[in-house]
Amino acid sequence: MSDETPKTIDRRKFLTVVGVTGAGAVALSGCSTERVEKLVPYLVQSEDQVPGIPVYYASTCTECAAGCGLHVKTREARAIKLEGNPEHPVNAGTLCARGQAGLQGLYNPDRLAGPMQKDGLGWKSISWDDAIALLASKLAAAGGKVAVLSGAGRGTFDDLLGDWTRGLGGTVVRYQPFDHEPLRLAHQKVFGVDQLPYHDFARAKHIVSFGADFLETWLAPTEQQRGFAESHGFASGTAARHVFIGPRMSLTGMNADEWQAVTPGSEAVLALGMANVILAERSGAPADANGLRATLAPYTPEKAGQAAGIQPAVVQRLAREFASAKPSLAVAGGVNGQHREALELCAAVDLLNYVAGNVGQTVVFGADLAHGDGYAAVEALFARMDQGQVAVALVHEANPLYALPKAGNFAARFAKVPFKVSTALWLDETADACDLILPNLHALERWDDLRPRAGVTGLLQPAMEPVFAGRHTGDVLLQVSKKLGGALGKLSAAPDFKTHLEEAWAQVARKRGHPDAVGFWRDALQHGGLYDPRPTQSVRLAPGARSVSAKGATLDGDGAYVLLPAAGSMLSDGRGANRPWLLEMSDPVTKITWNSWVEVHPDTAQALDVREGEILRLTSPHGTIDAPVYVYAGVIPGALSVPLGWGHTTFGRYASGRGVNALDLIGATDGNGYLPYLSTRVSAVKTGAYRQVAKTEGSNRQLGRGIADAMPLAAARQGLTLKEAYAAAGHPEPHDNPANEVKAIEGFRESVLKKQEHGGYAEAHPKWGMVVDLDKCTGCSACVTACYAENNIPTVGEDDILKGREMTWMRIERYYEGGSDGEPLETRFVPMLCQQCDNAPCEPVCPVYASYHTVDGLNGQVYNRCVGTRYCSNNCPFKVRYFNWYAYAKRAFPEPLNWQLNPDVTVRARGVMEKCTFCVQRIRGAQHEALRQGRALKDGDVVTACQQACPSGAIVFGDVKDPASKVVHAAAASSRGYHVFDELNVRSSITYLAKVTRPVEG
Amino acid sequence: MATTLYEPPATQTHAEVTRDVLATLQAPGRGYYYLLGGALFALSIGLVTFIILLKDGLGHAGYNPPVMWSVYITTFVFWVGIGHAGTLISAILFLFRSPWRTAVYRSTEAMTVFAVMTAGLFPIIHIGRQWVFYWLIPYPNQRYIWPNFKSPLIWDVFAISTYLTVSTTFLVFGLVPDVAAVRDKVRGWRKKVYGMMSFGWKGTDQQWRHYSRAYLYLAAMATPLVLSVHSTVSWDFAMGLVPGWHGTIFAPYFVAGAIYSGVGMVFTLVIPLRKVLHLEHMITDYHFDNLAKLTLLVGTILFYSYSMEYFVSWYSGNTFEQTTYFRRAFGPQWWGGWTMIICNALLSQLLWFKKIRTNLTSLFVLSIFINIGMWFERWVIIESSLSNEFNPWAWGILNPTWADWGILIGSFGWFSMYFLLFFKTFPIVAIQEIKETIPMPRRREAH
Repeated sequence: MSDETPKTIDRRKFLTVVGVTGAGAVALSGCSTERVEKLVPYLVQSEDQVPGIPVYYASTCTECAAGCGLHVKTREARAIKLEGNPEHPVNAGTLCARGQAGLQGLYNPDRLAGPMQKDGLGWKSISWDDAIALLASKLAAAGGKVAVLSGAGRGTFDDLLGDWTRGLGGTVVRYQPFDHEPLRLAHQKVFGVDQLPYHDFARAKHIVSFGADFLETWLAPTEQQRGFAESHGFASGTAARHVFIGPRMSLTGMNADEWQAVTPGSEAVLALGMANVILAERSGAPADANGLRATLAPYTPEKAGQAAGIQPAVVQRLAREFASAKPSLAVAGGVNGQHREALELCAAVDLLNYVAGNVGQTVVFGADLAHGDGYAAVEALFARMDQGQVAVALVHEANPLYALPKAGNFAARFAKVPFKVSTALWLDETADACDLILPNLHALERWDDLRPRAGVTGLLQPAMEPVFAGRHTGDVLLQVSKKLGGALGKLSAAPDFKTHLEEAWAQVARKRGHPDAVGFWRDALQHGGLYDPRPTQSVRLAPGARSVSAKGATLDGDGAYVLLPAAGSMLSDGRGANRPWLLEMSDPVTKITWNSWVEVHPDTAQALDVREGEILRLTSPHGTIDAPVYVYAGVIPGALSVPLGWGHTTFGRYASGRGVNALDLIGATDGNGYLPYLSTRVSAVKTGAYRQVAKTEGSNRQLGRGIADAMPLAAARQGLTLKEAYAAAGHPEPHDNPANEVKAIEGFRESVLKKQEHGGYAEAHPKWGMVVDLDKCTGCSACVTACYAENNIPTVGEDDILKGREMTWMRIERYYEGGSDGEPLETRFVPMLCQQCDNAPCEPVCPVYASYHTVDGLNGQVYNRCVGTRYCSNNCPFKVRYFNWYAYAKRAFPEPLNWQLNPDVTVRARGVMEKCTFCVQRIRGAQHEALRQGRALKDGDVVTACQQACPSGAIVFGDVKDPASKVVHAAAASSRGYHVFDELNVRSSITYLAKVTRPVEG
Repeated sequence: MATTLYEPPATQTHAEVTRDVLATLQAPGRGYYYLLGGALFALSIGLVTFIILLKDGLGHAGYNPPVMWSVYITTFVFWVGIGHAGTLISAILFLFRSPWRTAVYRSTEAMTVFAVMTAGLFPIIHIGRQWVFYWLIPYPNQRYIWPNFKSPLIWDVFAISTYLTVSTTFLVFGLVPDVAAVRDKVRGWRKKVYGMMSFGWKGTDQQWRHYSRAYLYLAAMATPLVLSVHSTVSWDFAMGLVPGWHGTIFAPYFVAGAIYSGVGMVFTLVIPLRKVLHLEHMITDYHFDNLAKLTLLVGTILFYSYSMEYFVSWYSGNTFEQTTYFRRAFGPQWWGGWTMIICNALLSQLLWFKKIRTNLTSLFVLSIFINIGMWFERWVIIESSLSNEFNPWAWGILNPTWADWGILIGSFGWFSMYFLLFFKTFPIVAIQEIKETIPMPRRREAH
């Protein structure tokens, strides 16, 4: 070649160009509020930053105490999605809705921009230097009267905080609002072990929950859901049975095969009654359980049945079922059932597990799940504040002034502390009552580690530069101690917390005999932490076991109804209330969004003459709240249930003034070391006011249309198809075509597919399909949140949800069956997303081909071709197309929430229709990657966001043309498969596996 | 049959006809300006609403998914339907040589053109991105992107644009001799304008021969459109699989409904017009009686269609169809379903009575009910079908808002503005055709 000019761009040149443009883009867009100049990475290409290619950082979730492992997906140095770490023993690659919404904590527009000092009634910004000097001077003057309230989990930071506070002469109280104290105290009483054990749901063949919401907020919900799906989900003939005992059917109760609606407070008597039956019939009780005979003897089935309001025969049946399945598992505790006998209940359940031989099998001690110091310690701390023994209070990762009942007067007691410091990232109720705020870095911006249980240490690493000018509280502690000098100055030799953390890990490496501390640290970072086998510890009955007794919990007040405060799986203890995703995700039970409500049994509603949306005034001896009625057959007639987590007074634009706080109704008296949430009677008065409830539910009955279908366990075991199962039960299949229609459709089906085989459609392409196992789906809505995160779905807000305009590409439909004429109320969940029909009704009606069929069998949607006639949605039988009535994307993502947007997915403009396309960006990404590597796409290369998040593993996705694919296997392995609205000949690409019902036998 | 033959008032001469009709074009009185002001005000309400919709999005209108179409499409079909009476009366009845059409056909033709002009706005207003509405039109472009000819919405674009073209041509063409008559009576700039619009009409034998032949052909061309356009509009619905839409009866049912609503609107417009313009001796009871009989016929067809819809949904055994029709009658918006049945199927049966057919007050009142009933028919077809489709979880109820009513009011303003301007600008009664009906001997004597 004579021409010297290179015809192609070489790698170096390409990277230079990309680097320069990339650096310019970064400098202009500004990923950080300070030290932007550090973020110019592309000029000298770093190994792990390629524009357009995501980088994942392993980290740990701090949204609850379970400590799930995270993979933080970053693009161009911004975190855009949180995914589960597949190596992590707690969540094994899945992630719940709350965990995913951690991203909206990182980018929350109401985060504080820097340190703030109280200035009269308002706040003024101060510099970090001034703030630290101020804190140091106050601490120096405090004379040891320092108190720290910390919600941080166990780990290096917590150790440092403890040392630091001790160095100052103060005390640390570790605080979690939902702390499971009754469970821990009961274990101490019965087994002499002050621990939260590990519960092996995966091994249990029979699960009885005494009000414990193990799929929502109890201990480690994601892990328990995985175990529950494994044991309870129908696989090969074995399937655990789940009985839920409690006055309100929570999401956990909805997933039970049997709900025993017992009198609130009677559960302990019932558990002892069941244990008594088992021990009396000696079906598998350990030898030393004989000593319990005298303890249990008074709790006859008659007495237990009478207390709980059920037949004695039912008590015996429950006990026998429980004892005959080996191993079984009974669980208790959790906020929903935390009444004045919660400790006794947990102890009774310990005995029940013990006599059934489950302790050591499904209830495994030694794991020692993380917990706080309990309500008694918090109460004691506030008492000290009250007595003026606290001069400086530091509140870290906690919001006690919201999460503690007003009846305890905590705000006034807190106000007596002369100098109060908060490390909150936002102005929550407690921070607002402080004098100085030193905003911490968000968990996704900082170095840290967490030990959620023995054997698991999760590492946190910054996934990006800080969004706001916070400072790691660890650094603050070190800087303050250096300023104060003395013994405290020698707290750590490290200049900053990261070095301190590395030194701590170097010690761990040394302890483990690892020669290369740096390599050890790097390795742990890559894997998200250290995972050792779960330690076990065998326990025996302690003397306290014999003193377990129960007589039914007492309640305050003389109102007509028992108040059941309910912990929700979205807002939890209220910390989720400033995340628009969690507000927009409908509550899995009631399907209500954006506001609180009061659940009323239909009979109660009739007695009170109220209908949905009418506002009831609930009055207890401690306070009054007004909330709109939601009529729910899953709450007993004598009780009213109000969700927790709402009614913040100051917690940013999303949470403030939204809903009412159910805690206003309950007392704050200590119930033996814990806060008895369920301890109040309320009176209910109709106010005459009305507020429409923003729920996403249209009709909650499927009218026999076979959307969420089910078959009995016996039929599933015989491998019957739905059609055969219906025939066996003597009914025609509800969604069956008459013979003449079948004939017409059969001929048509062939011709439809034949007609499509032209051009690109005739070539060999994958055909994407999905299998959703309804027997595993618990309705938790993790998939919905994942879909929002992956696909830039805007939240529309309460007003538009009232108009039915939510944009849930994927939604969980919740249908009721039975519930009248003595039939038990059954709940069915069905994840509804675009079915990617082969013969899609949406496609031919679009006048501009915005809705079209891709060669690999997806119903594509070309957003910038769509003119918005909306005929596609009218013609969609599943109603899974969503229209941008306003410029939702503009108002749903105020700066910097818009930083979370996935650059691979179009942010839709107003006036266009949008929908699920099986995460087409992930499909194309995987195809491009396979092409780049010069190989064929293989099964498992493409994982949809919903499939990835699902803690139950209910969703399988893949190429249905590949006979070896998991999706083909899942559909073929089960006789339960069906297509929704198959009679319409739309040829859906999603196969649902019917739920398996386990009716009461005998 | 002989009794229905038209007997014009014997006292009229050609000159008198011209004089009386042209009298309607005199300078309007105060009342006219009030009416025109009202129409413009209504139009401005619609305009402001549309600007807000353009600015913020369709969200202001009361769309409640799954009901993705609502008042705008309802009103679109309403106006298209009204547009059908004009062509029926002017073209079909012309071909059938029904002499009673003569006195009313000009006003109905004008009504047709303006109604279609009104209707045509709605698909544009209702789409999400109004500024790219032209993507529905097949035009050659660099991107080689064509609209989807499978989509009934594209058929609709063709149907409406064809109908607007043909009916406008028909109206303008039919006006030529009359405009010439006006030209001969006015002076100044008006003479020039009318002169241009009369295309040099002199009334020669040759011109009359060509004119009559051309008019006949145009009538023949317009006639199938009466049936096809509203059939196509009905397929906007019937081609979908929505229960309540997916019926083979839809095309004839919609055509009957269109004529019913069109004749209803003719009553509403012509009864007051006749009085205001002093045309009682030209538009007589005889005309109204015949129009009322037409109304009775199509009203009865509607009665049959409604009955069939309910019967077939029950007889099909299809649970989706049954639920839709059950909820149409007894669901949360039952009043819509019953308004439609009462106003259209039942009230039309009153026209069996000659007393009602010939009493203009009762006809006028009835026509208001017809207009309301036919608007509700389209509302019910859209709302009650979409609000409870296949998936019960996604059921929802439509709640229209100010933005819906704003556009609806604006559309009446838009239509009324054109109609008011028209009848003060052009002869609202066809002068030459009235003259044709005056007995021939007199014409010969005058010669």
